[in-house]
Amino acid sequence: MTAWKKPEENRILGKRLPRLDAAIKVTGQAKYTYDINLPGLLYGRLISSPHAAATIKSIDTSVAEKMPGVKAVIMTAKPGDTVRFHGQELGALCAASSDLAEDALRAIKIEYQVLPHVVTEEAAMKPGAPQVLPDTPNVFGASVDDKGDVAAAFKDAAATVEGRYYMAVRTHACLETHGVTIRWDDDSHITCWASTQGVTGVQSDLQRTFNLPGENVKVITEVMGGGFGSKFGLGYEGRLCAQLAKQTKAPVKMMLTRAEDQLSAGNAPSAIGEVKMAADKEGKITAIEGRVYSSGGVGFGGVPFPYIYNNFGNIPNVKVRREQIKMNTSGARAWRAPGHPQGSWIMECALEDLAVKIGMDPLQMRIKNDGNKIRQKQWLEGAKLIGWERRNEKPGVGTLAGTGRFRRGIGCAASIWGGGGGGAGSECRVMIHKDGRVWVGIGVQDIGTGARTITRMIVAEELGLPMNAVQESIGKSELGPAAGSGGSQTSASISPVIKTAAEAAKSQLLEIVAAKKNLNVNDLDLLDGNVVVKSDASKNIAFKDACALMDKESLTGNGKFDRSLVQAGVAGAQFLEVEVDVLTGCVKVLKAVNVQDGGVILNPLTMESQMNGGVIQGLSTGLYEDRHMCSITGRMLNPNLEEYKIPGTKEMPEFIPMIYTYPEAKGVSGIAESTNIPTAPAIRNAILNATGAHVNEAPMTPARVLTALAEARKRGTNV
Amino acid sequence: MKAFDYVNPTDVADTVAALTAAGKQGKVIAGGIDLLGELKDYIETPTTLVNLKNVAGLNQIAVNAKGITIGALVTLTEITQNPVIQKEYTALAEAAHSVATPQIRNVGTLGGNLCQRPRCWYYRDEAVVCLKKGGTKCYAVEGENQYHAILGGGPSYIIHPSDCAPALVALGATIEIAGAKGKRTVPAEKFFILPTDNVYKETVLAPGEIVTSVTIPTPAAGTRSTYVKVRHKESYDWALTGAAAVLTMTGNTIKDARIVLSGVAPIPWRSPEAEAVVKGKTYSDDLAIAAGKAALAKAKPMSKNAYKVPLAQNTVLIALKTAATGKA
Amino acid sequence: MNDERDDLLDQPIDILQTDAEGNVSRRDFLKGVGGGLASASVLAQGVTTLPVEALAESPAQGVKGKRISGMTQVTLNVNGKERAVEVEPRTTLLNTLRDKLDLTGAKKICDRGSCGGCTVMVDGKTVYSCMMLALDAVGKKITTVEGIGTPENLSPVQKAFIEHDALMCGFCTPGFVVSCTALLDKIPNPTLDDVKEACSGNICRCGTYPRVFEAAIAAAKLKGGA
Repeated sequence: MTAWKKPEENRILGKRLPRLDAAIKVTGQAKYTYDINLPGLLYGRLISSPHAAATIKSIDTSVAEKMPGVKAVIMTAKPGDTVRFHGQELGALCAASSDLAEDALRAIKIEYQVLPHVVTEEAAMKPGAPQVLPDTPNVFGASVDDKGDVAAAFKDAAATVEGRYYMAVRTHACLETHGVTIRWDDDSHITCWASTQGVTGVQSDLQRTFNLPGENVKVITEVMGGGFGSKFGLGYEGRLCAQLAKQTKAPVKMMLTRAEDQLSAGNAPSAIGEVKMAADKEGKITAIEGRVYSSGGVGFGGVPFPYIYNNFGNIPNVKVRREQIKMNTSGARAWRAPGHPQGSWIMECALEDLAVKIGMDPLQMRIKNDGNKIRQKQWLEGAKLIGWERRNEKPGVGTLAGTGRFRRGIGCAASIWGGGGGGAGSECRVMIHKDGRVWVGIGVQDIGTGARTITRMIVAEELGLPMNAVQESIGKSELGPAAGSGGSQTSASISPVIKTAAEAAKSQLLEIVAAKKNLNVNDLDLLDGNVVVKSDASKNIAFKDACALMDKESLTGNGKFDRSLVQAGVAGAQFLEVEVDVLTGCVKVLKAVNVQDGGVILNPLTMESQMNGGVIQGLSTGLYEDRHMCSITGRMLNPNLEEYKIPGTKEMPEFIPMIYTYPEAKGVSGIAESTNIPTAPAIRNAILNATGAHVNEAPMTPARVLTALAEARKRGTNV
Repeated sequence: MKAFDYVNPTDVADTVAALTAAGKQGKVIAGGIDLLGELKDYIETPTTLVNLKNVAGLNQIAVNAKGITIGALVTLTEITQNPVIQKEYTALAEAAHSVATPQIRNVGTLGGNLCQRPRCWYYRDEAVVCLKKGGTKCYAVEGENQYHAILGGGPSYIIHPSDCAPALVALGATIEIAGAKGKRTVPAEKFFILPTDNVYKETVLAPGEIVTSVTIPTPAAGTRSTYVKVRHKESYDWALTGAAAVLTMTGNTIKDARIVLSGVAPIPWRSPEAEAVVKGKTYSDDLAIAAGKAALAKAKPMSKNAYKVPLAQNTVLIALKTAATGKA
Repeated sequence: MNDERDDLLDQPIDILQTDAEGNVSRRDFLKGVGGGLASASVLAQGVTTLPVEALAESPAQGVKGKRISGMTQVTLNVNGKERAVEVEPRTTLLNTLRDKLDLTGAKKICDRGSCGGCTVMVDGKTVYSCMMLALDAVGKKITTVEGIGTPENLSPVQKAFIEHDALMCGFCTPGFVVSCTALLDKIPNPTLDDVKEACSGNICRCGTYPRVFEAAIAAAKLKGGA
């Protein structure tokens, strides 16, 4: 049985190593899908619906097709079809330059019969509202928890709160838009550069779409510009690009524009929680009642609730109904812990309000209700790092808050992700060549988490070699199937396969050395660039010389997934300090403490970067991001990076990432989702601590904060 | 962008001639930040762009006893870094610095900042034919109006996006305009027009006219100025509300005041009501609060922008306090 | 700092060019896209070329006094080299760099001057190349991220970015590198606020800002500022 070494025995793993592709990324040499220039390249553009709901009356592409430089137009929509959201894909074209493609796009004439639409949850839920999909009511997919006696529990409770907590739809806004560059090498071979989180998925989609054997489809994703859950599969744009390339017999690049990406290539469902919560005088949650809605547009939403402090059924009395809402907006996609930031928002806000009502320290209340043993310790670590004792004892009242224009406060919330334990299905090969070269190949893409770097680190560690003695190849379908990067699964899915492949290669090499040098294989190991003879160091052989003993040109170790090397379920706690400008409603996060467990730690440097990234996306969710839909036109009003607000440098707090380690950790676990979940409610709770204002809608814009401050003043808070 | 011809005159007369010849199909380009955005979104589809950047003499800052003259091509970065503007015309330096990002300020010009078109998300949506684009309604009235006007609105409810404009109005600047009939000068305050005057444009510029320079008179002794911009995001954002305050002080007494708001109206919104409250009075926070209330007394918020009323009141307070006491 | 890390920084490995056997080969997609005119003419196939007004004899003279219509040959000074290239008046500097000169370090992300991915220096100042016409860059010195350093010869900013892990997916990174480089050219010893100001026109979606801050300040020390 295999196992990770103890941290102190590692030479490479667990060290703070910079990522291997950093040099090509910082110099602009890295070639992303968007950057692939090929001789004779054509530029593809999508043709999409300007309407939220309409029937297509007619389509005329004849003018466009005759325009200079236009090579092909393909429509998938036809007259009579119904479109159901602004940005719905109807076809695509390609031309010799992006400017000419743009010209052609505007020469496509489509006539519509505009239909009524619903683009807000409220409108969609109204009786008699236009139905978005013919076969599904606008409110659908109800699931219900009903246990205990909620009415009695509320009657007996020491305190109850009731609130409506809302989180807006957010778009992924990956900086590299969705897209592919595709070349048909001949009638039956495709090379596809894809900006994807799943090389294997894109390959199988292409294979299925064009009925080709797998080996005829080469997908390449050595670097990619962000996905966050929205970039799985070939997608409409990929399919059309392949068809255009086939038809024109020329390579085609089809990258969505920013607006298209915002409109149709990924969003996270909204959430509305109308909930009532009760606790006993000890602060133990005794009952939850309520309704939770979420909308994934024409697709699916879903928000877990009750969340976190339910501890898989700890709360004795629960009556919760969860429903989804259809709207004339593009379908939601997975986003870094799907549904969980929303569920956390509802739960952590309600719990905080309940703590305030009881007059209990909200951290103590969390500790009391938290069934996770690791987090029990993390709460205390985080409290120390933020200086929890500095917080205002009452909302809006305390030394930290002060009485001036800028009020400070501290809040916290829990990180949690049940996944991250990886899964089988990835292949990995480690080859040792007679001339001493070591190569590791795995098809997995690196979406920015550092998959490439840990791949080489694991092999170098196992083979006792320095980093630069190993060459890895990743992000290519020809290297075999590999895990998609979703659900915090990449590291945990690939690391066991890489490790066992390296182990297999190692044992083959040691067998050869043992046989050739007449040594006992159990007496051999690989360390510091040598085959080490444990019983007699004078017999050590340099790695290169040992490789030269091979009869064949190379040997290959194949890896397999080993569940004993991974663990699922990570815990964390975040503590944020904020400053609220009570004159403007602007909120500045000053400090972010992020305590996070990740099991066996492979590379703390890249892990901390990912932890900071989780907080930043959470901060963005909490304060800035909102997809604005116009109820008159049914169109998205901010399909850009200007009015779709993403924080920049000046919105950044001081970051204190703390990797929480513990000796019982035996397996690798992913952390991406966990770090992104609690930030928004932690900010909200810090605002409450600073000012006494309950901001129950995210993003917490100046408008919403000002409104909540005015309500706090009405309640008598001096703010 | 639709294809266009690109003309490169080297003096003002040729520029005006080229623009006049192109008529409605001609647009002048300087830094191009606002214009190229409009072109990329097909809000404007000119057939001729007339490049102003090679026109001699428009990129100078000239200081004399009477005041300062800033050429239309002077960039926002140059304004921000100019020591005379920083010291004597602080509100303008702060306003220029508050615009967008370093990359935009490095190419964006003063002339362009004054002549930029509204950021209204209906106006900027190619598919929406709103009032300003020849349609019959302002979508903000019934639509998403959180970033729209609470003062001076109707029939269009855009807000004027410029940060430099309120500072210049407050500083009593004049704007020099060149056209086919020669040069004319208008006070900055009269340069911007309400939708009730003309819903299709935001300034008095006639077809073929360009801004060539801005002149600000030397401020009276004891004058202090500031521009406060409240934005959702500090890194690159438009003003939710803003206020330029130019105060002439004797000790703690406000002898003279000019207060101009941004983010609230289709033009930089000068508030004689607020000015009247503070003129001749000793500064206090209560006085500044009263001025803010006076400035917003006639505000008519729509369904989603009522928050701007207290916000703008507070912005006036912050601006007056900053100008009067040096502290926010 | 351990040995592996030293090796790594000293010998950046050409990771994109290895085949399944571990052999290093040229990127096949660069074949025939050498640069300048060659690529421009390949890519411009099928484009109607309209009459060009008297620019061809001396493109480096710039565009003063001329009316330009349709596809036109101009010369851009990019990373110290004169590059002849065909553009339309509407062609942005960004599209020219990326599509015609194969300088793809500057990224097209928002294409509206909101994100900083396309940041390059023009005469030493940072600009959004997506919001500048190629014609407006004629006669000026354009520096892209490729001109700041190479994997074999990294600039102090680039070295510091690597060491401080100031990147994740890396798509915004060239823009941040250019912004930080321009900052250090102007302010050799920047404060944290200076860095935030200089990079306030750049957006990162993965969330590497704190590491960018560390890197920029460390780069100043590498450069010998502090």
